[in-house]
Amino acid sequence: MQMPEPDQSVIDRRDTICRDLRNLTANHCVVDSVEGRRAYDADGLAAYRQLPLAVVLPETVEEIAAVMKYCHREGIKVVPRGSGTSLSGGALPLADAILVGLGKFNRILDIDYTNRCVVSQPGVTNLAITHAVQADGFYYAPDPSSQIACSVGGNVAENSGGVHCLKYGLTTNNLLGIELVTIEGEILRLGGKHLDAGDYDLMGVMTGSEGLLGVVSEVTLRILQKPATQRALLVGFDDTGSAAEAVGDVIAAGIIPAGMEMMDGLAINAAEDFANAGYPRGAAALLIIELDGPEIEVNTLIDRVTRIMDTAGASSLKVSNSEEERNLFWAGRKSAFPAVGRISPDYLCMDGTIPRRRLPDMMVRMASLSQKYGLRVANVFHAGDGNLHPLILFDANEADELRRAEDFGADILRACVEMGGVLTGEHGVGVEKRDLMSIQFTEDDLKQQQRLKCAFDAGHLLNPGKVFPHLHRCAELGRLHVHKGKMPFPDLPRF
Amino acid sequence: MIKVTGLEDAAVAIADAMANQQHLSVQSMATKSALGRDVSYDSYLDVSAFTGIKDYQPDELILTVRAGTPMHEVEAELASANQMLAFEAPDLHKLLGAQSAGTIGGVLATNASGPRRLTAGAARDYLLGFDAISGRGERFKSGGKVMKNVTGYDLSKLICGSYGTLAVFDEVTFKTLPRPETNISLLFGCEDMTAAVAKIASVFASPHEPNAAAILPGSMAASAGIDVPEAMVVIIRLEGIDVSVTDRALHLLAADPSGAEIDENSSSALWQRIRDVELLVNQPGDVWKLSCAPAAAPNIIAAVQNHFDMTFFADWAGGLLWLAGPSGASFGTALRTALANNGSGYAQLVRDQADTKTVITPFQPLSSAHYALHKRIKAAFDPLSVLNLGRMHDGI
Repeated sequence: MQMPEPDQSVIDRRDTICRDLRNLTANHCVVDSVEGRRAYDADGLAAYRQLPLAVVLPETVEEIAAVMKYCHREGIKVVPRGSGTSLSGGALPLADAILVGLGKFNRILDIDYTNRCVVSQPGVTNLAITHAVQADGFYYAPDPSSQIACSVGGNVAENSGGVHCLKYGLTTNNLLGIELVTIEGEILRLGGKHLDAGDYDLMGVMTGSEGLLGVVSEVTLRILQKPATQRALLVGFDDTGSAAEAVGDVIAAGIIPAGMEMMDGLAINAAEDFANAGYPRGAAALLIIELDGPEIEVNTLIDRVTRIMDTAGASSLKVSNSEEERNLFWAGRKSAFPAVGRISPDYLCMDGTIPRRRLPDMMVRMASLSQKYGLRVANVFHAGDGNLHPLILFDANEADELRRAEDFGADILRACVEMGGVLTGEHGVGVEKRDLMSIQFTEDDLKQQQRLKCAFDAGHLLNPGKVFPHLHRCAELGRLHVHKGKMPFPDLPRF
Repeated sequence: MIKVTGLEDAAVAIADAMANQQHLSVQSMATKSALGRDVSYDSYLDVSAFTGIKDYQPDELILTVRAGTPMHEVEAELASANQMLAFEAPDLHKLLGAQSAGTIGGVLATNASGPRRLTAGAARDYLLGFDAISGRGERFKSGGKVMKNVTGYDLSKLICGSYGTLAVFDEVTFKTLPRPETNISLLFGCEDMTAAVAKIASVFASPHEPNAAAILPGSMAASAGIDVPEAMVVIIRLEGIDVSVTDRALHLLAADPSGAEIDENSSSALWQRIRDVELLVNQPGDVWKLSCAPAAAPNIIAAVQNHFDMTFFADWAGGLLWLAGPSGASFGTALRTALANNGSGYAQLVRDQADTKTVITPFQPLSSAHYALHKRIKAAFDPLSVLNLGRMHDGI
């Protein structure tokens, strides 16, 4: 992966920059030793590593603003980082960039039950929000698998999802307000405890912008009352096509489950070996369907879904009759990644989305790609919304296997786009899928996105080298096509 | 008037406007032209020919439709598969003196969302992707036709509620949802706004899944056929399958026996009147909408109620106030002052009876930093201000 050429003049000024940053933070929170910086050299996409120029850990929003203002003035790049759990390299450091870590922003500021929201600093973990309100019967709905570690600020940057977003939405649908610091060091508040923007929805574009538009310094999250009952079905099928159709049948019957997950044969067996969850070993596909809500509703819908599964040709079906059993059903799915880690030295986790009806085609395609590259693939899907997580198994110690695995992954993502889907459903583009963006988007699509970037960060100082395969200078992007030989308003500044 | 049939000729029209230093007012059925500021324009860009359902897959929960398609056609198509747009777009044509509910594009351009917005999200939460021509005359797309997608910036959010000032869009793709099998509503009398907001908070702290909550003054409720002795009435809607709705109503009424239940037909009719702001259509003066934290609503109302001849009701658990009051700047100024003293939000002039928008800006004014960023975003999409110049703010 080619990153932007580091600016040697910035690297040469490292000592001065570290001294200046120390002066900008009250407790001199700058990490500049090699050992100290090593702890920040990668995120969840651990195949890529880079020591940052320096790490600064501000403690107040004013300190973030001062650091940003300084970097803007000095032309120094900035990489923001929450908990560093990005699976796409969103927080991968650059050799000539300051890493701004938000780890010290770890306090929940306000729990407001009348307005049903929590105001939090960005470094608080996703799960800590739910922990703070669960005694009163509330929870925070988005639940990415990394929720024990990932930060809510990072969730905003990545627009994180989870297994329940079919019914409850992604981060963007559960976010009421943010405070952000621009690269110029300006502190802006967007949204609040009210609903919707009266103007351009800047909070909407900040969400999922992967740290390229600003640094999130506070979030206001919507909390929900915990459902009275949750029950799950574990349904085996002899072929993936029938399982995929059964998922469509549930939705066509007007039922939106809290979650609908699917696993293929290899994933079923790996998970069963690992977790003893009672999964049907011989099945080609397994569905976990969770229903939540008032007890009488859940029981009624369990009956309806059971009938749909029978009609669709399920080979096995179990319904959870206790919380213990429901958690056991999930235990296999939730341990799918470590379970696959046991049957292969390394694996690569992909994240495309397809229209769900194309799932059988995708399974065929993956089988043929698996043969072509000589690598196995295990599949877990968020089946309700067509979000695939193929796990490509490889051994990094074998010559060439990492490259083959990456090529295999890229081919899967190409197939996703070809089938009418997209490159990433929830993990983000980052560096991982950056060079595939032109498969999904035209040059004009990407240029328009970068013009938005220019409105926030004209100098490309925030997290450069992520998301966009080619960095265009903002002045170049602002140039207008000359129509009929006339350049309109030649004196107008374009940006 | 330039009538275009697709994005190709829209691109030509915009390029011509750029070359000739002209500005365009983009419209289709023009049912929402009363919203916002007056646009500076040389000619209309008529996109009413952008009609038709392009793709509808109920079991994928995906609808792709051209932006100029009338709302009633979109709703009829969805109803045929027992589905809906869950954000419950209001039909404000009676309030605004227009002929119809207008088009799906107009709903998106104004991010218009109804009572279910409280629990299900706004129009901006359901737009998955679009095709458009920017004010640069260039075709671009964003998002996709799948439900889960974080590839690139989420321009769908930006386009929703941008009042046509950034781009002209054609095909738009939505997430659809099944229609609830039934709904009923519960009514609770409350002595004042504070008690009403507290009542709603207690219902939302239960596991009985209310999906909309409104507050009506008793006199207004009476005009809608609801008689309660208290000053305010809280209306809670329950939706879902029959056994569930019945069961939840029983629980909520057991917890507070002062409540009453109204059946599906009455409930649906009442919520349609709330959604479409019909309760204020015959009130004199201007109509404002104000979005605030629900708990701030009682203080905001208290701050203005005794100073103006006004009527109001609240949706979104108190977080959306619809207010009818005197024309002119003083009412809107008082609302914005009350809002600023009670946290965050915005106040927007919706029905303007006497050129109020010439003396007070219909959109919530922006801070200088927000305004500067808005201007840069406008320039990023529409550098020569070809599209709907000044609709939202000066130069935007």
